[in-house]
Amino acid sequence: MSLVTQSYPKTSWRRFKSSAFRVSTLAALLFVIAPALWLVLGVVVRAVPHWQWSVLTTLSQGTSGGLENALVGTLVIMGGVLVLAGSVGVLAGIHLAELAHVRKNGRPSGTIFRLAIDVLSGFPSIVLGYVGYVALCVGLHWGFSLLPALLILSMMVVPYIAKSTESALRQVPTNYREGAEALGMPVGYALRKVVLKSALPGIVTGLLIALAVAGGETAPLLYTAGATNSLPSFALLHHPVAYLTYYVWTDYNQPTAEAHVVSYDAALILVVMVLTLLVVSRVIVTRTQRHSESYR
Amino acid sequence: MDESRKTDISPDEIESVLEVLDPDSNRPRDIIQTDGLNLRFGETSILSGVNMNFPRGTITALIGPTGSGKSTFLRTLNRMNDKVRGFRHEGDVKLEGRSIWGADQDLLDIRRRVGMLFQRPNPFPMSIKDNVVAGVKAHGIAKGKQLDVVAETRLREVGLWDAVKDRLNDSPYRLSGGQQQLLCLARALAVGPEVLLLDEPTSALDPLSTESVETLMRTLTPALTLIVVTHNLGQARRVSDNTMFFYEGRLVEHGPTKSLFDQPREADTARYVNGLMG
Repeated sequence: MSLVTQSYPKTSWRRFKSSAFRVSTLAALLFVIAPALWLVLGVVVRAVPHWQWSVLTTLSQGTSGGLENALVGTLVIMGGVLVLAGSVGVLAGIHLAELAHVRKNGRPSGTIFRLAIDVLSGFPSIVLGYVGYVALCVGLHWGFSLLPALLILSMMVVPYIAKSTESALRQVPTNYREGAEALGMPVGYALRKVVLKSALPGIVTGLLIALAVAGGETAPLLYTAGATNSLPSFALLHHPVAYLTYYVWTDYNQPTAEAHVVSYDAALILVVMVLTLLVVSRVIVTRTQRHSESYR
Repeated sequence: MDESRKTDISPDEIESVLEVLDPDSNRPRDIIQTDGLNLRFGETSILSGVNMNFPRGTITALIGPTGSGKSTFLRTLNRMNDKVRGFRHEGDVKLEGRSIWGADQDLLDIRRRVGMLFQRPNPFPMSIKDNVVAGVKAHGIAKGKQLDVVAETRLREVGLWDAVKDRLNDSPYRLSGGQQQLLCLARALAVGPEVLLLDEPTSALDPLSTESVETLMRTLTPALTLIVVTHNLGQARRVSDNTMFFYEGRLVEHGPTKSLFDQPREADTARYVNGLMG
């Protein structure tokens, strides 16, 4: 009997803890959602009233004019990073998850590789940008151009891609691998058809972060890509490349209202690009995961 | 008088002619043999001194308490242990008289010939049809329209066709656990194995699904040779021709299932099959 009466205060204490926990998780969620909404709305509210579609089809004239050159430049940079950093990062992740740990002597391998990745991801982007400027643009006489920009941005995002690829591959159930092995599937075939497929959501997430960084970085690009009011020439060297964040940053610092409009337009285009990327990646993931264990 | 000189045909030639006439005449009666097989992980001995023959077309049950080494033994037969860290073996396993570790052997072909079904159903994250033909595609055995035929044949073989014929492109994870296991069986059968290793194939299934898997196992012989690890003594009695009893890293006793259960020679076997141990 005494046990029963004692349990009542405990119950209310448990309920209090439960709701306190719930409230704090909600608060944390708001803490993430509020600034995101604020930023997106801030950009939309300032850019949309003055929006003109001609922005997408006219070249920049510094603090006025359109953003065609910057839009194309950003797309070229993002595409280049996707190809360069994407292939290096995914291959590195596959190595770490699938190949590095089967060493015969039983010692952990891939340690140096992992350390290098951590070091790389810890560098401030402006330092990498400056290194790129000194070593590539000046040292190798490449000038402000596409290749040094791609190399430096790729150095920044390869760690994300490699890490997310590795952890996605490690989460693939052993069941799948054993099933594939037991059928006599060649290792590479099983990797492509079974393992990578179920690791795809994680890999796509890594690539998405990489693309968002490639589209949104400013500092390393100032040092490597330079700036220009003309369209990218697709030459890898000696030709500066325009990009949207440059105009967001420089035109916002100008005193004229005209320049501010360009700045907000560039920001809006970037926001729309990132949101589109998110949607596209979700579509890819749901399409490829419709036969997965978690989807049902 | 020497036969070969009289007919001017060498014994080798006669052999080869006979082989052409009857490809089975020369095949060993036992499809798998183990010779003095010792298995260890690092310094820990898992199993020692296993000499065993598995006659073609029979079902052999591997029984024994957890940790007795029977699963390790099973997984050695298609070299699933090779990649496990610290795994070492002494002695030999022969598939149709040839060492499975021989330099002339192709690991992938051994795994095709010696298939495996696991404790938990493990369909791949692809459609039901793609699951059945996954191995077939990987080995390039069939392609295009042939794959549909393979899928239907194997699904019929395991009795799953009527249940899934209208949703071949669905996710396999919408099937029940028992159906998933039958799907995995269809997938294993599709590559045309000679031996099937089953590692507690029904321990995650309900009694009805268990029964359908057991019935299937019976129909698969004598075309296939089955070796099944089971903790279910009733299952061993129901389906197997021969039984091997493992205990503390040794093969304690083996023989025809009925005599092993009814007149065990060893005291440990008697205690185990009578439910006094394990």
